[in-house]
Amino acid sequence: MKAMILAAGKGTRVRPITYTTPKPMISLVRKPVMESIIELLRAHGIKQIMINTSHLAPAIEQYFRDGEQFGVQMGYSFEGVLVDGELHGKALGSAGGMKRIQEFSGFFDETFVVLCGDAWIDLDISKVFQFHKARQSKATIVLKEVPRDEVYKYGVVQTDAEGRILQFQEKPSVEEAVSNTINTGIYMFEPEVLDHIPSGGEYDIGGQLFPRLVEADVPFYGVALPFQWVDIGSVPDFWEATRQILRGEVEGYQMPGREVRPGIWTGINVSVDWDEVQIKPPVYIGSSTAINDGATIVGPTVIGANCSVAGGAEIQECIVDDYTRISSLARLEKKVLYGDKCIAPSGEAIDILENDIGFILDDARKELVLSEAHRLIFEFARETGALEK
Amino acid sequence: MLINKRTKGDLIVLDVAEKRVDAAIAPDLKEYIAELAKQGATKVLLDLAAVEFMDSSGLGAVVAGLKSMGGRGELAVCNVHGAVADLFKLTRMDRVFTKYATVDEAMAAIG
Repeated sequence: MKAMILAAGKGTRVRPITYTTPKPMISLVRKPVMESIIELLRAHGIKQIMINTSHLAPAIEQYFRDGEQFGVQMGYSFEGVLVDGELHGKALGSAGGMKRIQEFSGFFDETFVVLCGDAWIDLDISKVFQFHKARQSKATIVLKEVPRDEVYKYGVVQTDAEGRILQFQEKPSVEEAVSNTINTGIYMFEPEVLDHIPSGGEYDIGGQLFPRLVEADVPFYGVALPFQWVDIGSVPDFWEATRQILRGEVEGYQMPGREVRPGIWTGINVSVDWDEVQIKPPVYIGSSTAINDGATIVGPTVIGANCSVAGGAEIQECIVDDYTRISSLARLEKKVLYGDKCIAPSGEAIDILENDIGFILDDARKELVLSEAHRLIFEFARETGALEK
Repeated sequence: MLINKRTKGDLIVLDVAEKRVDAAIAPDLKEYIAELAKQGATKVLLDLAAVEFMDSSGLGAVVAGLKSMGGRGELAVCNVHGAVADLFKLTRMDRVFTKYATVDEAMAAIG
């Protein structure tokens, strides 16, 4: 079996994070989602994996390279052009991306699995393969049952008793939905399915290829298996997924580092005096981070690597990117700190540079330069006791 | 800088009619409140309903305004919302400023 990971999307619903990080590279408690997918594929004996890249392609390609260090072989199909030293994405859509690879080399010469790079899953791919072969299916959709009131977010699928696809509905209303079984965006195909995709243009699997397969009466099935599916399709999803992992609600998710106190994990070279800080689990603290005396951290929180948290700082239920300096005046509650942005779980963001609040939050590698206004606010906080409150 | 001033008893309500309170208008705002303090104002309410963005210099001007009132006076804020409310919270200034949801609420309390 071979595999293809769809990684060319712009991730518009995960902005501003996806302005600088492609969605498959977003880390769930330190590990890029796509890395977990590669590990799952390898565990099911899949060793040859093609990735279509476009938006921020180098971030993906430079991390995984040829895949050997992950025990697999990986290749990339870049969808875009380089103009004046700058890459411009020109994504071909999920089906168009597969077609391009097939026309390039005929890579898909056996059963292959196609999945998105934006969800952590523990799907038993071997079981899907057994189902696919037993039905002599040419195209199989992995289905999942969701609570009826959530169907409006997904593509709803109706199958017969054998699993043969009867009907699709794209994001139906709760009243109109023919079932509560939804398309997870994970597919298994035989190579001949690619003959149904036109050459050289944008083409979508769900919206275009599937209706065509139904029309052509291709053996087309859906299989519903129980598995965990942790989606990071939006900022609230990413926020919730991280919290679930920290709270231990995602079964089998491997926490990074070492559990040094109950519910507190750290990397190496962490500078902290556990008697002088207040930390309420679950919390992860990255390598080479300093948590100074008097700091308060309330979980679920992830602090990245090489951060500096000053005494007096309060961090409550946050996800903090690497190299973040958090000052003694900072009070962060339910925030994602990513690059220059301080993001609320809703997706609303404050720009650290535009708001000129580097004295509260900044890149830890920058020199701390205080303006007159910064000094005034600091001084005032000290005078009024807000620093201690 | 656009500021609409109205007086209710001894309470002065300053309606800051600017979308952005940043370095461009911070000195004026600071000066305006300092002048009121000099004239003997003891209760000033900053209505930030129109303000969608405030940077550290804007916040610094509000802090300087409160300081210029000295121990005698009070500078409260109301209608703090969105990114401005976040800024107050991030810097703990929400703990030192008296904050009211609306002008009416502020007047009922300090008017």
